[in-house]
Amino acid sequence: MIAHRLGLAAVRSATKPNVFFRQNIPRMVLASAMSTSQARPIQTQKLSQEEGQQVLVNQRLNRPVSPNLGIYKMEQTWFGASAWTRITGCVLSGAAYVYFTAYLASPLLGLHVESAALASGFAALPFVVKGAIKFALAFPFTFHFINGIKHLVYDLGIGFAKSQIKRGEAALWISSFIGGGYLAFGL
Amino acid sequence: MASIVRPSLLRQTALAARCAKPAFRNNAIKASAFHTSSQRSAFLPPGPQRIEGTVNDPAPVPPPSASHGSYHWTFERLLAAGLVPLTIAPFAAGSLNPTTDAILCSAVLLHSHIGFQSVIIDYIPKTRYSGLRKIFWWGLNLATVTVGVGLYEFETNDIGVTEAIKKIWKA
Repeated sequence: MIAHRLGLAAVRSATKPNVFFRQNIPRMVLASAMSTSQARPIQTQKLSQEEGQQVLVNQRLNRPVSPNLGIYKMEQTWFGASAWTRITGCVLSGAAYVYFTAYLASPLLGLHVESAALASGFAALPFVVKGAIKFALAFPFTFHFINGIKHLVYDLGIGFAKSQIKRGEAALWISSFIGGGYLAFGL
Repeated sequence: MASIVRPSLLRQTALAARCAKPAFRNNAIKASAFHTSSQRSAFLPPGPQRIEGTVNDPAPVPPPSASHGSYHWTFERLLAAGLVPLTIAPFAAGSLNPTTDAILCSAVLLHSHIGFQSVIIDYIPKTRYSGLRKIFWWGLNLATVTVGVGLYEFETNDIGVTEAIKKIWKA
């Protein structure tokens, strides 16, 4: 709109005599340049439907990945409880899958992974190592367990206020660390 | 020349426009820099992409299916909610019961299978990696069956999952 007004003002003032002579000449130049016939220095290229499609496909390949982890706050991506529920669940289930597959294959491979052999092997470890292994299993369990319940509550449509979410996250991390520590070292 | 051309009133307006909302301009500059930068802070590059139909076609709406939708969702939640008492009870009661152990193992196996399935669905999209998706999908099915047989063997020949965890934990 400003450009339009500028053009209009220039056209008007170019026709009127002006006391400031210095300003008159550029205005006349501008008014004459604002004619309807323009020479454009660029050229357009005719493309077929398929070629246009290929241009769009190539443009799409240059787009940033969405959702791009770099654009979010640290606590939303790296410490998001929902993501850690999946990670802890995969750790626990993955360990179980590995163990029971090994148990099934142990007679063929000559391994001894039955409970008696594992218990005697585990008992021989020093206290700190035992505690560390237990914590590596107990923390994922408590975290997955507590946040699993939290998500079941979310599924009922409860607890979506921002303050509730923030308090819940803090309570989740603290209680699962304490719970994991108790299961690992307290029992 | 432009500064001479502008009448004084317009010059003021232009000056005001130049000063107004620098934050908005900064954001716009940042956004355009983000969209044109070649540096991408993501774990993996985007997979091979192709456009189905023309670029103006909307995203296809999958055919509605209750067994893939609401029933599946409800079943998942019931299973998860059921696991809460199932994981606590055998350890709290402190007694060995083959039936509750079998129920717990089956529920955990199903819960794990559904969980791994959703991981595969989320991270290996069918449209971009259809071959890899098939490999992982059927690999997971094979793994779950193997683990199921392994669990059955463990329950029948060993001392049972609950008792084994207890024994190793207190070793």
